[in-house]
Amino acid sequence: MRTVIMKNRLLAGAAILALTAAAPDNFDTNTQIGPNPVLPPLQQYLFPPMHLAPVVGWKSSETPNAAPGLKIQAYATGLQHPRSVYTLPNGDVLVVESKSPNLDPVTRPKTIVMKWIESKVTSDGAGAGSNRITLLRDSHGTGKPDTQTVFIDHLNSPFGVALVGNDLYVADTDAILHFPYTEGQTSITAQPTILTPLPGGPIDHHWTKSLVANPDGSKLYVGVGSNSNIAENGMIAEVGRAAIWEVDRASGAHRIFASGLRNPNGLAVEPQTHALWTVVNERDELGPDLVPDYMTSVKDGGFYGWPYSYFGQHIDPRVKPQRPDLVAAAIVPDYALRSHVAPLGLVFDTGNLLPSQYSGGAFVGEHGSWDRPTLNGYKVVFVPFSNGKPNGKAQDAITGFLDDKGNAHGRPVAVTLDKAGALLIADDVGNTVWRVTPDNQSQANK
Amino acid sequence: MNTEIPATYYRTQYREFIPGHPVLRILASFPIACFAGALATDTAYAATTNVIWADFSDWLLAAGIVMGVLAAIVGLAALIASRRAPVQPRAWPTVIGSVLVLVLAAFNNLVHSRDAWTSVVPQGLLLSVITVIVMLVTAWLGSASVYRGEMPYAGPRP
Repeated sequence: MRTVIMKNRLLAGAAILALTAAAPDNFDTNTQIGPNPVLPPLQQYLFPPMHLAPVVGWKSSETPNAAPGLKIQAYATGLQHPRSVYTLPNGDVLVVESKSPNLDPVTRPKTIVMKWIESKVTSDGAGAGSNRITLLRDSHGTGKPDTQTVFIDHLNSPFGVALVGNDLYVADTDAILHFPYTEGQTSITAQPTILTPLPGGPIDHHWTKSLVANPDGSKLYVGVGSNSNIAENGMIAEVGRAAIWEVDRASGAHRIFASGLRNPNGLAVEPQTHALWTVVNERDELGPDLVPDYMTSVKDGGFYGWPYSYFGQHIDPRVKPQRPDLVAAAIVPDYALRSHVAPLGLVFDTGNLLPSQYSGGAFVGEHGSWDRPTLNGYKVVFVPFSNGKPNGKAQDAITGFLDDKGNAHGRPVAVTLDKAGALLIADDVGNTVWRVTPDNQSQANK
Repeated sequence: MNTEIPATYYRTQYREFIPGHPVLRILASFPIACFAGALATDTAYAATTNVIWADFSDWLLAAGIVMGVLAAIVGLAALIASRRAPVQPRAWPTVIGSVLVLVLAAFNNLVHSRDAWTSVVPQGLLLSVITVIVMLVTAWLGSASVYRGEMPYAGPRP
């Protein structure tokens, strides 16, 4: 009988070896920027590789680093987990302060571990109120707001904001709310009406609902992230999710505009073609260099792979039953941004302030990785565009959110332009909104 | 040592050790039930792809490991407390088998911490099968010792 035990032990040993064998991480991540990313073979783990950046915050004199020709300054500090920024036509800036609804049920022991890990790398408005919108007004054009008011309070994990005429829409995690807005208002106390309910609880894994109006203002597009990493809560939990909805502004009726987008954020209209673009957080736990997060134009009716496949027809073995019909139709995204950088913000430079090299291109806020041995993201990158398409490699625009010890001072989330054309960056764990302008000093030297 | 010690002495001392201690017996039955249950729920998941079965497996493995570790602690304490009693050589298959089962289940729990299908098929299911086989073999070796009279199962205290 002892030999039977030995055989079993050998079998188990072989199985364990097969489980833990992992390639060293000497992959050139620059090959994953652009339209044709290199995709290494997928790996699965006993412990997925993890590297967390502990949050240390900013001291009063510290700022991120701007690329040559740019200058960065704090626009507002002491906020409560700012996730998103939006500029009103009169130049007032809305800062959406928001925290997770924390509705993920503990379905298995892993959930407990993951919640604990998450608590290490996000302040998540801990202790503070958050879930409100703060208005910032720079009435003298000094680049520093002189008025700060609570614009809308008591929201439910809000993220997206869109104004069409006098109709202000706020995307809470579970509904698009409509508020009447008059130019110059510094607070809204009117009760909102619900334009369209959105998938919120009972599970609400990817909870940020990004929002943008189409150019004529007749439709709203809203990003609805998946309810899991890779459908491990079952496909029943994914109804209406991992998709961008098109909402009719007049009636509130909605349809799925595009699907298979795991966690689409930063919805933005490309200025030249008026196409809808988004940045997408791809799936985890297939390796440090899988799957690249991406930005893409969004085609009406398009399917982008999740959960069945990634970057076109690369099958994810974790999903059963598979859907070969959908996989065959899966669209390859336009532009990879590297793996696990967690893009959450996207804005096209349509202003006249920043240096001309940025004109028409896209700034992407990369919140930063946890699911790889070395940190990736934690910066704002710039992707040049021409003729409505990315044209060239992503460049670092704003870095220095990490210190050299691997601590996070802050993490960039959504980005937008202010009325002057400066880039605004919401920094959630840094509780700051940053403002990026041309560095006149260095321009004078040119 | 001393051949004149009555046979019942070994019996009672041995009862205090592995199979006889009542708390240990209760604790040790959890991993057996949990790991056998995990094989059943793994099989159900593989057959249906309904994730609730994979979640059940995950909890069963975790609960079995926790109770198994508690059993090991109690067993070790009992062993230390009765260390003057000579250890029966035939107890070792039970000890080794139990440790092996716990190690296999721990690896299996890590495999089950993956997401969706590959948290179970094929490696999780394979490990569940192997775990149950090792449990059966261990139990068979233990009870065979009892039948041969080498491993007292029960008996009156002197």
